[in-house]
Amino acid sequence: MQPSKLLKPELYSAGSGDGDGATARLKGGRCRCGYVFFPMQTYGCERCGSHGDPLTPYELSTNGTLLAEATVHLHADKNRPAPFTIVKVALDDGPVIRTLLADDSARVAPGQRVTGRLVPTTQSESGETVLDHRFSAAS
Amino acid sequence: MTRSLNDLRPVYVVGIGWHRYQNPSETPYVALGLTAIRAALADARIEWPAVESTYVAAALLGMASGRPMLRHLGATGAPLMHVENASASGSTAFRHACIEVASGISDVALAIGVDKRNPVRRAETGIGHLAEDAIVPFTHFALLTNEYAVRHNATAEDIALVAVKNHRNGAKNPNAQRQQERTLDEVLGGKRVSGSLTSLQCTPIGEGAAAVIVASEDGIRRLGIDAGRAIRTTASVGRSERVYAPGAGFDAALTKETADLALAQAKVTPGDIDIIELHDAFTVEELHYIESIGLCPEGHGVRMLKDGALDIGGQCAINPSGGLIAMGHPIGPTGIGQIGEIVMQLRGEAGARQHRGARTGLAHMVGVGAVCYVHILQK
Repeated sequence: MQPSKLLKPELYSAGSGDGDGATARLKGGRCRCGYVFFPMQTYGCERCGSHGDPLTPYELSTNGTLLAEATVHLHADKNRPAPFTIVKVALDDGPVIRTLLADDSARVAPGQRVTGRLVPTTQSESGETVLDHRFSAAS
Repeated sequence: MTRSLNDLRPVYVVGIGWHRYQNPSETPYVALGLTAIRAALADARIEWPAVESTYVAAALLGMASGRPMLRHLGATGAPLMHVENASASGSTAFRHACIEVASGISDVALAIGVDKRNPVRRAETGIGHLAEDAIVPFTHFALLTNEYAVRHNATAEDIALVAVKNHRNGAKNPNAQRQQERTLDEVLGGKRVSGSLTSLQCTPIGEGAAAVIVASEDGIRRLGIDAGRAIRTTASVGRSERVYAPGAGFDAALTKETADLALAQAKVTPGDIDIIELHDAFTVEELHYIESIGLCPEGHGVRMLKDGALDIGGQCAINPSGGLIAMGHPIGPTGIGQIGEIVMQLRGEAGARQHRGARTGLAHMVGVGAVCYVHILQK
């Protein structure tokens, strides 16, 4: 198997026992007040303002329900060549996040179940496959 | 005990002026701003030295753009400050000019919004993100368009009707960036941008300037300003985003709580409002916000639009100026231009765009962040 690395390891990890990263886990956080957020940060809780020890890492499942999708036809930033599709997903674990739909995903519509995967994007200079998080229609 | 603007001494808009909103050009911002300020002074029939304080709204001009512009009016030494609050910069400048006059610190203050289309630069927060760089404002609102359409069984054609109305209004506004009527086919057939949004359903960011002068009753008397053309600000509210239920549209939730406070402050109900200038940078926003302000229940906006209730001459004219979609959105000026449009309408001086019998107007802006500002003006 080709060596691989994660594009943003501070945000997600490969699901346990899943060496090629087919499923993903998101690195969220949880406050003592009960608020769950993504990504993990220690600046302070948006709901109650607590900071420091009350904020702890909290791993999030990437299973969720699609709230909205939009295929982007125009995008000025050449690092993100259009077209691509953005999805807004309510994670089963609480937070609502927005990111890219995998290019090879089946078409999606609001209400549909989706799941996050780590998919190959580019090659690093040292020849590793770079994996990034994408959502796909749940199989 | 704290007090709202409407509990302080009355404050009136006495002068309004613009430099037309337009596509980016070689015209320096100084020329744009001076045109709007001189128009507002002429409208109020006062001279520059009467202005005791100036709030300069600009989001994209960099540091300290005000003094290199204002000095050409004659350097009076009066205080000036700059306001950057994203799309709501102009609304925020207006609010603070009103507060300064209502508090008694000044009798006459100017809010001037001026901007050029320069790149937006936002500092890093130090917190990572999955793909926020792929979600520019039109994609944020394309997602909300998809949600609205599914939740309320609205079609892309239904939502695009907002643009048809606002282009029709803008075609009658000499200060609008886009002054051309558009059919539904033209709106839908334009360049696809994101989701179901097409280019004529999106604001054309451009350049321009808008100015308003506010004054107290003392100032009006002392300067001999025509009190019959003065329009009172009866509510001013600014808010910022809180934590809402997961998945709730924060722009609409924030608009609702801000508008509710403004309506209570002015002691009016949504049914009392004759005209609204609101943040229609993208078509779906107009539907969200009229519902949030309380003109109709959630999901009923399309019905009002199709019935003509939102037209000039209808139940409540929404964006008679053409709104951000047609009049344009040069950022700094936009919220101030909304106030100018409402003042023109309440004076009965709006010409071909006049909504007959307008007595109460509401101005609404949201800004990235998110922040929200609502003002109510009454004859």
